[in-house]
Parts: sequence; C-alpha cells; structure tokens
Amino acid sequence: MATKETQPANIDEGETEENDVEADAKGKKAARHDAGAADLEKVTDYEEEKEIAAKDIQDAMRVVSDRQNREAKAKHEKEKELSKVKINKDDVDFIVQEMEISRIRAERILREYKGNVVEALVFLTN
Amino acid sequence: MPSKNPLPPKENAFFKRILKCYEQKQYKNGLKFAKQILANPKFSEHGETMAMKGLTLNCLGKKEEAYDFVRRGLRNDLTSHVCWHVYGLLQRSDRKYDEAIKCYRNALKWDKDNLQILRDLSLLQIQMRDIEGYRETRYQLLALRPGQRASWIGYAMAYHLLKDYDMCLKILEEFRKTQTPKSFDYEHSELLLYQNMVMQEAGMYQEAMEHFRTYDKQIVDKLYIQETLASLYLQLGQPEKAAEINKALISRNPENWSYYQKYEKAMGLEGESEERLKLYTEILEKHPRASMPKCLPLTFVTGDVFHKSIDEFLKKALRKGQYLFVSIKSIYKDPSKVKIIEDLVLSYVKNLKEEGKFDSNGEVESVTVLLWTYYFLAQHFDHLNNIEKALEYINLGIEHTPLLIELYVLKAKIYKHAGDTGKAVEMMDEAQSLDTADRCINSKCAKYMLRANQIQEAADMCSKFTREGISAVENLNEMQCMWFQTECAFAYKRLGKWGEALKKCHEIDRHFTEIIEDQFDFHTYCMRKMTLRSYVGLLRLEDSLRGHAFFSRIALLAAEIYLHLHDHPLTEGDNDGDLNSENLTPSELKKIKRKQRKAQKKAELEREKQKAEQEKRDQNKNKTTDGELDGPKEEELVPDKLARVEDPLEQAIYFLKPLQNLSANCVDVHVKAYEIYSRKGKLLLMLQSIKRGVAADRFDPHFHICLIHFLQYVKGKGELVEPTKTVIEQEMKKIYEGKTALQLNTDFLSRNMNSLPHRLAGARMMYNLDNSRQKEAISIATTLESDIKGVTIKNCVDVLESLGRGDVGQCEQEASDYQSQCYRRFPLATAFCPHMQTQASEKEESSSGNPSNEILVNGSSAKHEVELDVC
Repeated sequence: MATKETQPANIDEGETEENDVEADAKGKKAARHDAGAADLEKVTDYEEEKEIAAKDIQDAMRVVSDRQNREAKAKHEKEKELSKVKINKDDVDFIVQEMEISRIRAERILREYKGNVVEALVFLTN
Repeated sequence: MPSKNPLPPKENAFFKRILKCYEQKQYKNGLKFAKQILANPKFSEHGETMAMKGLTLNCLGKKEEAYDFVRRGLRNDLTSHVCWHVYGLLQRSDRKYDEAIKCYRNALKWDKDNLQILRDLSLLQIQMRDIEGYRETRYQLLALRPGQRASWIGYAMAYHLLKDYDMCLKILEEFRKTQTPKSFDYEHSELLLYQNMVMQEAGMYQEAMEHFRTYDKQIVDKLYIQETLASLYLQLGQPEKAAEINKALISRNPENWSYYQKYEKAMGLEGESEERLKLYTEILEKHPRASMPKCLPLTFVTGDVFHKSIDEFLKKALRKGQYLFVSIKSIYKDPSKVKIIEDLVLSYVKNLKEEGKFDSNGEVESVTVLLWTYYFLAQHFDHLNNIEKALEYINLGIEHTPLLIELYVLKAKIYKHAGDTGKAVEMMDEAQSLDTADRCINSKCAKYMLRANQIQEAADMCSKFTREGISAVENLNEMQCMWFQTECAFAYKRLGKWGEALKKCHEIDRHFTEIIEDQFDFHTYCMRKMTLRSYVGLLRLEDSLRGHAFFSRIALLAAEIYLHLHDHPLTEGDNDGDLNSENLTPSELKKIKRKQRKAQKKAELEREKQKAEQEKRDQNKNKTTDGELDGPKEEELVPDKLARVEDPLEQAIYFLKPLQNLSANCVDVHVKAYEIYSRKGKLLLMLQSIKRGVAADRFDPHFHICLIHFLQYVKGKGELVEPTKTVIEQEMKKIYEGKTALQLNTDFLSRNMNSLPHRLAGARMMYNLDNSRQKEAISIATTLESDIKGVTIKNCVDVLESLGRGDVGQCEQEASDYQSQCYRRFPLATAFCPHMQTQASEKEESSSGNPSNEILVNGSSAKHEVELDVC
C-alpha cells in the first residue's frame, strides 16, 4: 500500500488508520476539505518535511513543557475560583432574556462580576 | 485499529481497501468492498465498515443515507475511534464545526495519540478561533512529533495569537536553533521575518533591530528590512537615522509617495518651508522624469511658488492627456488654489483657441491639447458642482472630437451628479457603444442602469461578458460579483421589491460565509510553506471580514428592509413589488398587469430552460468527479418567501450583529440596532445601542432622534423593576446629565444650525415634542440659505420625503413649495421636477395613518430615495 504513495500531491487522506506513521513523516495532512490545498500543491514545488535531529529537541522540549504545566495549573485555579462564586438563577434567566445572549455567556459574566447583576448588565450594555 | 470487533484477515483486507478507495476518491469501488464485508451475515452490522460506507455515500451526495449509516455504525461500536472520527468528518462536511469538534474529542478518548485526529481537531479549532483549545492540541502534536517543523510553528503561533509574545518568541528561538539555513533559503527567511514581526508586535523594538542586524544576511527580502528599520528607528527615538534610510529608499524608487511622507515626518518638516522643498528639488535633479517630486509639493507650497509650479505641471500633463484631474484632486481642498488653477486653465483655453499656444511666449501645441483642456475644465466644474459650466465644456470637447469614449463617460457622470440618472444612462450607453469590447465601460454602463432602476437592461448589458448558457445574473452571483449585486439590491429596494432586494443581500452574505470557509485550505498550506506573516495577516483579515464596506452596506440595507416589512407586512394579495398600484388608473393598471404576466411567463420559460441546462451540467460534473460535492447544499432563496418571513426583526439582527462589533464606530449601525430593539421593547438592549451610539457619534442626526425617543420611551414606561431600574437610571444620568428632551433638542439645534440633515432631525423632534410649533419646525427643515452645509440632492430628497410622511405634521403646501425651491436649485434633478410627479407627497406608506404621538424612528426611508455618491 505504501509503495504507491510517492506522489503526495494527489493523495487526499481522510481516514488514517493505516500507515499513519508513514504518511505523517511526509507531513501530508489532508482530510476531505483539503482538495483546494492539494490543487495548490500541484502548482508549487512540494518539499518533504525535514526531521529535526533528536538531540536538538530535548532542551527545547524541556522549556516548553515546564511552561505548559504551569499554565494548565493557573487556568485550573481561575476556573475553580469562578465556579465558587454563587449566582442567582433568576439573574441568569433575566440576563438571557433581556440581553439575548447564550446561557453559558450570561453565567460566565455574572460570575466574573461576583454575582452582581447590575454591574454585569452595565458591562453588557457597553 | 478496529478495537473490539476485529475482522478476520480477509475482511480486514477489504476494509483497508475501502479506506484506500476513499483516499483516492474511488467511491464506487469503496462501496463494492463495503458490500463484500457487510454481505457476510457475521459482519452485517460491523460498525466501522458501516461508518465508512456512510462517509463514502456522503461523497456521492447521498446525505441522508450517509447520516443513517454513520449513525448506525457508531451505535454498533461506540468505543471505536474510527466511527467517531468518521462522524466528525461527516459533520465537518456539513459545516457543523462545533458538533465535529465534539466527535473528534470522543474519538480521541479511545485513541488519544491519533495524529490524524489531533490534526483535524486543531484545524477546526483554529477555524473556529478556539485558540486556547488550539494551543492544547498543538502541544499534544508537538509532544508526539517533536521532529516536525509544523509542530513547532503551530505551537508558537498559538501563543502569538493569544498575545503571549514572550512564550511565542521562546519557542521560535528554540526552533530556529535547530535549523541550518541553506543559501538563499526563502522559507528560513520567512521564519526570521515572522520572528521579527512578533518582536515588533510585542513592542520589543530594540530586540527587533538587533535581530535584523544579526540575521540580515539570511533574510532575502532586503527592501522589507530597510522599510522596517526606518520605522524602528523612529520608534526608538532616532529620527535622523530613519530619515537617512527613507532618503535612500526615495532614490531607489522616487515614485513611492509614502517614503516622502515618512522622510518629512522623521525630519519634522511641515508647512511651507525652503527646507521641505529642498528634498524635492534634490530628487528632481537626480531623477528629472519622476512625477512624485513634482506632484507632492503642490499640496504645501502657496502663492507665487504654487502658481509657477502648477503652471508647469498643468501644461505638461495637458500635453499628455486625460489623467490629470485625479492626480491633483487633493489640492482642491484649498479654495485659493482652485482659483489659481481655474484662472490658469481658462487662460490656456483662450490662448489655445487663438494661437494654438498655452501662452504668448510658448510653442505651438498639438490640437489634442485643447481637447484635454476642455476635458479638464469639465471635470473641474463638475467637482465644484457647477453643472452648467461642466456641461458647456464637455460639449465643447465632444464638438472637437465626437468619438472619444472618455468624453461621454464624463458627460454621463456630470448628469449623474446633476441628479438625472436617465440622461446619465443614455450617455454611458453611448460611450459603451463606441467600444463594446471594453469590459470596464460595459460594467460602468450596467452600474448606471442599475442606479436608474433598469435592472433587466443592466443584466443584458453584463451578459455581453458573462459565460454563455447561463443567465448573467446567475453567473455574476457565481463569480461573487458584489458591486453588481449590491446595486441590484438598492435598485430593487427603490422599486419596492423587498423580496428581490433581500435575495441579493442574502447572496452577498453567503459570499462572505464562503470567504471565511475558504480559509480552511490555508491552515495547512501556510504552515508548511512557512508564509507565516501572510498567514497571521489572513487570520486577522478573516476575523474582521464582515466589517468590509461591501458587507456593511448591504447589511444596513437588509436591516432597513426587514424593519419596513415588520412595520408593513405584505398581505395575502400583495405581490412583492406591486405596492403602489393604488396610484394608477385602472387602464394603466391593466396594461401593467398584462405586461407583468408576459414578463413572468417569459422569465419562467427562461428559468426552466436554464434549469434543464443546469441539470445537464450537473450530470456531466458528477460523471467527471465521481459525485464530489463540497459544502452542504444551500437552501434556495425565494424572494417572495424572504419578504414574508415570520421574524423580520431577528433577520435584521442577524445582518447587524457582525457590524455591532466590527463597525462599532459607524453610528448607523447603532441607529438600526436601536430601531430593532425598540420594536422588540427590549429596554436594556436599547440602552446598549444608545451607549454605543454616543461613543460613535453623539451628534449624528439620525442618532439624535434615537436619543430623544429613548428618553421619552423610558419616561412613558413609568416605574421600572429592579435590576433594570438601577441600571437604566445610573447609565442615563451619564448620557443625559438630567436634561429634558426639549433642552436636548434645543441644544442640538443651536449647535448644528448650519447643517441641513441636522436641521431636519431637530425640526422633526421639535414638532414631535410640541405640535404647536409646527410652523417653526417646517421653516427650520425647509430653509435653503446659502450658509447651510449639506445642501445636496440626497439630503433635500430626505427632507421632501420627511415632509410627505408627515414627520412635521400635515404640510402639503409647504412640501410642494419646498419641491419647487429645490427644483430651482437643482434644475436637472428629476427628483424635484414638477412634471415627473415625484409622488413624495402622496406616497403610500403609512404616512397619513401614522399614530402621530409615537416617535417614528426615521421610518424606513422607502423607495424614491436617490442614490448619489460621488464616483
């Protein structure tokens, strides 16, 4: 199956179960919607993805993953704090009804304003 | 991999063939293999095979069957990532992106490291601008495939879009270190420039400068480096260096005016000074043929210097021909310069006619010079709204050379500005007939026809250049030709064909959706090609796409029409566009009806013919591409249905919503929003529009009416309930500062006494607040003294319509007086011509039956509006 895949421009792969690794190594991406991109590729020179040497990566990866962990934690804290805010269901209903916005957004804004409906409305009418 | 229900080797081989066929778009073959598995009773309910069968069917256009199979397949194998992924792809193809994201997430639950699914997910996330989610997914991709370039770039870009420049730069730098550039490596150069762009956006000018110094050998776009360095020096407070670079850039390309501007800015040169002029004379010595150094100083020199240079400039340009006026249009802001130009060119005409020379001591010029001088003068007087003189000179030109296209184009334009669209079309048609192979003139002619409400004629005109075998209107829609559709929409609106007008608006709205969809291809392409600066530019463009004037014009129009339809819904018998039949005599009516029936029949025949052709084409297409369809099939837009929607206000909001964010500084948007919400009675949303309008332009005449209406509306509401009460009181105090409606209106009028549209708004409110002041209000609205600004045909038509609607009470006599007053002022404008029966005073609409104690928020200014913008 792999042998025929040397003309990457024409291949439009949407399903991936087989020969995933191989396809990836070439950096071909493309689900159905990529028909246009595939066309573009026909007219431009296609270059295979270059691998980066393994030893170069390690240092770089360390920097990145540290940061990622810290951020996930900070985000979690903020969400936790927001979820602690008590909000009144009637207030949410009122905002949804009067401002014509989604429930999720109404709740979120009410929480950000610590449940104060007047402040939330002032913000929403800005 | 098929997890729970593994297929035996033979069937598994078939399954792989299905996948392969799908990849290679051999859908029919794929179905055959699926059949071979499903025909075996042991596997007739095999989930993954059914899902793939469904996906394949989808590609053949069998949407319902596709959904059926995919859903059944999923139900049979809920723990298969294949089934979930397929379901996601199916939803994706229907543009249900939120649903598709959910499916991908489910798929990842069962196979969390599946690269293809992660990639598909990241694409949807960036398309939907879920940047946080995008960053998470890119992180996973990076962790799984740190060896790939795209992994790094994608992750860094996520931080850039989240405005976390620090982290973005760190990642980019780590990545850069792993790269070894070749010689003339374009992609590496783009990477470096992207890095630099992020630095600049982060305000790290010093770093950006050093970055350039370090890598300038590896960057191939040398011009960009110089231009950016100049602006960096300016940012860093070293203007002399910025000036030096700009000077070098000027010598490199003396025709780029922005270099001159930047040089002047860096040197702090303004006003009229020797030093400022020095640069231009210097450049001119080096590049005697350059035009910018001759043209630009004209804007700042005055008196004799101006006289001398414009004299030279005009002579030279008139010898060359037609493009003179546009290049000096910017000078026309200064009346003293206009006078100099006028005197000079008039003296040329005199001398050219007498002795063929510009002035007594010049040489004899060629005969065409006189022609271009006439042409210039016609443009000159047209610009100054001196229609009579403009026509005089253009006619002299036509007499001189009767077959020159440009002359007829200009004559058409003069008539357009004079308010006679019919005559303008005639002239443009004449121009067009002189060269039927010129598409530019052809399009102009079509546009003029649309301005004169000749829609069919315009379509016929365009059909000379559109594809054969398909109607011009359809072809222009396919080609996303928005100017045509916009003009059509306005023409239909003027004719009161609401449904047809809305159809055009919706078509344009769909073009914009299409443009946003088209982004998809670039998410993968740009990343791989390293064109990151352009990619970020594209993302930002798409984010504000509906802020484009092409959209805002028709969105406001659509909102206006929907508001009109809300106030005056079509009744059963109403034919869209048949609204003003009451004004006609029975015989006229019969004639029109007969004509309409005939036209209808013809149109139907035409449609059928086209439909048959379309089908034939579709079949051909299906054959060649094995039934590939992209995007979900859209609902057909039927004008009559559009004009009878149940929720016109919601439709209006749909069009306005994007503008509320993207064109927040356009006060018209908030006026329209206010009109919608006031009809819905949503107090807080009305307040929102008022607050936003105040921020955009508090003294806009239309908005002034909203301001007063809101004040009266709240007063009329009596005691409000909490929390509305607190919010309204608190916010209104800031806006109104405790003033009454009357005070507000008086302030407004005294502040804007010299502007016609403001006087109209103020007068309307004056009458509205106190009916006994009708006389005063009418006189304010109808005065046309010479020091009043904004006396244009359009504004006067607005006043006339407003009088006809009864905005300032019954005033038939005053309206007809006003009409003749305008007629004297604009003798060529058909809108005021007494014989043409403008109907403005006897218009249908609810005018007379309008409940007069309610403020009509500038009632949809209906159909006889004259569209006039300077083109």
